[in-house]
Amino acid sequence: MAIITNLFKKSPFGPIVEHAKKVHECLEMIKPLMEALIYENYELIHELQNKVSKLEYEADLIKHQIREDLPRRFFLPVDREELDGFLECQEKMADYAQDFAIILRIRQTKLHPHVQDKFFDLVDQMFQVSGSLLTAAVEIKNLAEASFGGAEARQVLSLIKGLGEEEWKADKLARSLSIDIYKLEGKIGTIDIIFYEKMLLKIGAIANEAENAGDFLRAMIVK
Amino acid sequence: MDVVIIIFTGLIGFYMAWTIGANDVANSMASAVGSQSLSIKKAIILAGICEFSGAVLVGSSVTETIRKGIVDPNMLAALPALREGEAAALLIIGMTAALLCAAFWLHFATWVGMPVSTTHAIVGAVAGFGVVAAGWNSVNWHKMGQIVASWFISPLVGGILAFSLFKFISTFILGREKPAEAAKTYAPPIVFFVVFVNTLATIYKGLNHIISGLTWLTGTTSIIISVVLGLICSVIAKIWISRHLRGKETLSIAKQLEEVEKIFVPLVIVSSCSVAFAHGANDVANAIGPFAAIVDIIKHGTVQMKVGVPLPILFMGGAGIVFGLATFGYKVMATVGTKITEITPSRGVAADIAASVTVLICSRLSLPVSTTHTLVGAIMGIGLARGHGGINKSVAKKIFASWLITVPAAAFLAIIFFVIGRYLFLDSIIDIVLAARR
Repeated sequence: MAIITNLFKKSPFGPIVEHAKKVHECLEMIKPLMEALIYENYELIHELQNKVSKLEYEADLIKHQIREDLPRRFFLPVDREELDGFLECQEKMADYAQDFAIILRIRQTKLHPHVQDKFFDLVDQMFQVSGSLLTAAVEIKNLAEASFGGAEARQVLSLIKGLGEEEWKADKLARSLSIDIYKLEGKIGTIDIIFYEKMLLKIGAIANEAENAGDFLRAMIVK
Repeated sequence: MDVVIIIFTGLIGFYMAWTIGANDVANSMASAVGSQSLSIKKAIILAGICEFSGAVLVGSSVTETIRKGIVDPNMLAALPALREGEAAALLIIGMTAALLCAAFWLHFATWVGMPVSTTHAIVGAVAGFGVVAAGWNSVNWHKMGQIVASWFISPLVGGILAFSLFKFISTFILGREKPAEAAKTYAPPIVFFVVFVNTLATIYKGLNHIISGLTWLTGTTSIIISVVLGLICSVIAKIWISRHLRGKETLSIAKQLEEVEKIFVPLVIVSSCSVAFAHGANDVANAIGPFAAIVDIIKHGTVQMKVGVPLPILFMGGAGIVFGLATFGYKVMATVGTKITEITPSRGVAADIAASVTVLICSRLSLPVSTTHTLVGAIMGIGLARGHGGINKSVAKKIFASWLITVPAAAFLAIIFFVIGRYLFLDSIIDIVLAARR
């Protein structure tokens, strides 16, 4: 048998792009969920929550496949730990999207009109972060083609550079939303406030993980 | 009776060549087939042509080394208490044993999936015979040391060369703002390099044994011819590349990279062919070297200091390799084509050039190295330059283990075959040798 066939192993970068896309599909369910919440369409929330769970499961499968195809004895063009970290962050993002759907699902919470706009702003800002990350992550296959250097790498690095600032904006929004939520004390039930806070934390966490994933991606490129 | 021996050993040599063709050749075309630049059918045809011409055109210089370099026939002749013609007879038996053992060992190793090299097997076998037939000192340990060192050095040199070449490609072409623009400038020099090295290896001292009287085609003249040919090819390449990439500079970087990879497709075909060529040049000697020695002894009845390898024998070796490729090698080629889909033409070119340059230089220095191991070293080098998605490190360990095992195993087997052969056939072969002297 030709030795050469044993030498080459499947490159993980194609599946990584697939994984990143799948994770983002999970995140894309957040906006419809919020809209369903405003219209108090709890049936739709139930449906969407099922959809997120399914997507999250599919993302998990891709991740497992990547891990399975990459035993430690393989020699990769990027640092192994950073690759694992990157996948871990992506996985957490999908997990949090699923958690968010479950928070909406387990209790028929009503969203008070005073916080609605800021909630949507926060979701949009989170998408700013995760969207930039996706744009960078889908380039990873081309990065591998350019051996993680040169113009292609510079392009991706500049994308990642913006992530920190976008995440900081998301943090700021979350803080101000938090203040607004506590202003509603006494006007709405305490449980409502707890649930608002839960939702807010998950969205903030997604933005945060997207930034972390960006950090890992940067470290992978720079090596 | 002498005809029987020639046919018998010829068959073993052919069997050995068959094994090489069946198992090894697919490796040399891996880059072209793996990157889908060449269909499996075309790869087999091209590999056959290149292996054959490599064997016939450049093959002879290594052939003498294996026979003469490792074991000194004079030491054998100088043994005390030898009958007339016994030294020559022992050499015939020894070479037959070495061939047989190397072929068996290769077959066995292939069967258990060990990446052994034909070259290493035959070197080990000849050394084993030398030790038993004429004592420890008959083996030229200095030469043996050089050969074994070259096994370590050749993958290393292949790796370093491939690393540098790929760094060159990735820095000056793939990593540029406009890869399509950069390829127009920096791909032609690569074409020049490929053509120059291959032409030089072919004609520098090379063609003389095919067409006699080409004394002018040596040294400086051959360098000039290679340079001119390289320049012509790179100019043609420049025109072709410019035409192909015209207007592609405005695409996105990812799209441009795709287009640039297409530029490397013809180049990876040529460079894979040059690996097959180098492989033929280097490895044919393993099969026919001992056989050529036997034929010569039977013809003259004496052990001569220097034996030229007759062209028909080189043809036979080349034909054996092609036959192995046609009967079994196509299966291996198909596996290579379907399993290695991760290699891209640009990587393939870098690995191929590095491997063929290293092997051709070693062949010229009369150092028999393993083509496949050198290629593996080259691919690893590209991996170090962050060029490959995933490389299995354990293959390197397996190769290293095969280095340690092959020489002693082949030597041991050769000794057994030799002792049995000497016990059974010594008298009748001495008769043949004496008959030849008359």
